[in-house]
Amino acid sequence: MGKLNLPKLSRGNKVRTGVLVLALMLPFLPFVTDYILHIVIIVYLYMLLALGLNIVPGFNGLLDLGYVGFYGIGAYTSGLLTVHFGLSYWLIIPLAFINGAIWGILLGAPTLRLTGDYFAIVTFGFSELVVLFLTNEIWLTRGPLGLPGIEPVSLDLSLFGGPKWEFVGELPYYYLAIVMVAVTVFVMHRIQDSRLGRAWFAIRDDEVAAVSCGISLLTYKVIAFAISAAFGAVGGSFFARWVTFLSPDMFKFWESFLILCMIVLGGMGNIWGVMIGAVVLVSLSEVLRELLPLLGMPVEVRFLAFGLIMVLMMRYRPAGILPIPAVAAQMKAGRVKRKRVRVAVGMKE
Amino acid sequence: MFLQQLVNGLTIGGIYAMIAVGYTMIYGVIQLINFAHGEIYMLGAFFAFTFISFLGLPFYAAFLLSMACCAVCGMLLDIFAYRPLRQSPRLAALITAIGMSIFLQNLAMVIWGSRPKPFPQGALPAYFEETAVTFSGVSLSWFHLFIFAITLMMMIGLNLIIQKTRWGKAMRAVAQNKTMAALTGINVNRVISYTFALAGSLGGAAGIMVGAYYNSLYPTMGYIAGVKAFAAAVLGGIGSVPGAMLGGVVLGVAEALGAGYLSSLYRDGISYAVMIIVIILIPAGLFGKLIKETKKSM
Repeated sequence: MGKLNLPKLSRGNKVRTGVLVLALMLPFLPFVTDYILHIVIIVYLYMLLALGLNIVPGFNGLLDLGYVGFYGIGAYTSGLLTVHFGLSYWLIIPLAFINGAIWGILLGAPTLRLTGDYFAIVTFGFSELVVLFLTNEIWLTRGPLGLPGIEPVSLDLSLFGGPKWEFVGELPYYYLAIVMVAVTVFVMHRIQDSRLGRAWFAIRDDEVAAVSCGISLLTYKVIAFAISAAFGAVGGSFFARWVTFLSPDMFKFWESFLILCMIVLGGMGNIWGVMIGAVVLVSLSEVLRELLPLLGMPVEVRFLAFGLIMVLMMRYRPAGILPIPAVAAQMKAGRVKRKRVRVAVGMKE
Repeated sequence: MFLQQLVNGLTIGGIYAMIAVGYTMIYGVIQLINFAHGEIYMLGAFFAFTFISFLGLPFYAAFLLSMACCAVCGMLLDIFAYRPLRQSPRLAALITAIGMSIFLQNLAMVIWGSRPKPFPQGALPAYFEETAVTFSGVSLSWFHLFIFAITLMMMIGLNLIIQKTRWGKAMRAVAQNKTMAALTGINVNRVISYTFALAGSLGGAAGIMVGAYYNSLYPTMGYIAGVKAFAAAVLGGIGSVPGAMLGGVVLGVAEALGAGYLSSLYRDGISYAVMIIVIILIPAGLFGKLIKETKKSM
């Protein structure tokens, strides 16, 4: 499942290629059923989402609690454009991307001037407003009834004299998801090593130092937020055309929390770590979904485990399973420095 | 109609104020948005429910006992979740707060089930339902008056504690400068824990009153109430106790009037919108000072 490349091993491109080949061949392995494929597509979807969210807390050190709002915006953009205008999915991807980015800028520009705490709570309020809007504006979204009958993806090659190929079953979506994740990983790597990425890391590590190097905090934070929102919206657009049904309930705060949890678990700022986080948490979520009813508990209880994971990770391994040295140092930086002060002051732990 | 809405708004606004005060006090001492505060409020309602239904305690005893339990929960929350992170960056503490909120919410779901439960009405004093005052077509029940009285008493009591007692003085000192407070011999961690206890008991009391007033308890009730109370705290200026009180009342009235005259569908949206607008336009709130970002605070 997925690309489980550990940084230690990535020196040998063999491993990377091996995992990719395994991922590509997975549908043809004997034990793989449609159910398993379905779950793996969910894993890929969350990888895409987690990679998008990762930009904000991972690369910029800001807490974003409203990511699911952009996911919802992307999903409904995709769903409504398909139902009303019958647009092809290949056109919808850029439209969803742009729509997500626009909302990211609209929300980010006024709020990113503020401290991180305020930003977290504003993003939270925004995602709740998105859900309220989707629930109440029945003329547009059909509200709680949901938006059914979204056409599946199709690949129309008639322009080039080819056939029109409808996506049926899980298999084509599986490959579509792989391509989308691969493109996202590629883009993230390029951004990470670019001027933009370096500016973000500078902001994350020390805002004052970054400003004095001539980095405009607001501009770079807004860019980060917009790109993150745009990837969230693209994830949503895929989700809409894959499950072919949308309802406002799918975009509750829980989703933001789950995606955030993947990042925290995998390692904030680490592309491979975040992907592993998605694999682990989606698998855990599916196992618990099967297991909990047997114990006579509602499925929502699986968030008990996720909440605990977040608290324990922050306590014992704040930089995640695969820590990035800079993040790990930052998460601990206060401890060393303050300890001296505490000793001097005679304050007990 | 207008007056009735106003009375409803004031009732619920007073309750928001009680929760908002908890947010603002905790923010004042450790600069942390305690997302789990809404869950303490929810636990308060469920503790009272349990004490009345299973132990058969009378309403007032259950009220006091669950306030005490919420105070203990607040302290435990601080000791186990936040204290180890006091020297970590803010992001770590915020993530822990979110994690604890989700954890407690689901713990309540495991213990009490996810279905909404009615508050044991038999335990409420019989005169609560009776009309106490009627003026120009608006009738106030004794229950309304009870909520008003409790809210008012707690607000006055809280102000007295903060302004007049040694603990209050220590709390204000810690809010201003932890190192200096420690130098003068204040046990900073203990003061922070007591702040959590105070905030927890107020939140718990609010939870019991809401549970009894709306006659419905469910594990996610703390989530929306928590956000609204946070909006109230922001409106008043986070860190400012009188601001949080005023913010709660204003928000409660705005919500009741907005739901009555504009659109009841967006009832919850009003507080989110107020919060976002206040944060964008006047981030310092009505009474607060603008808080500068400090990278490794707490």
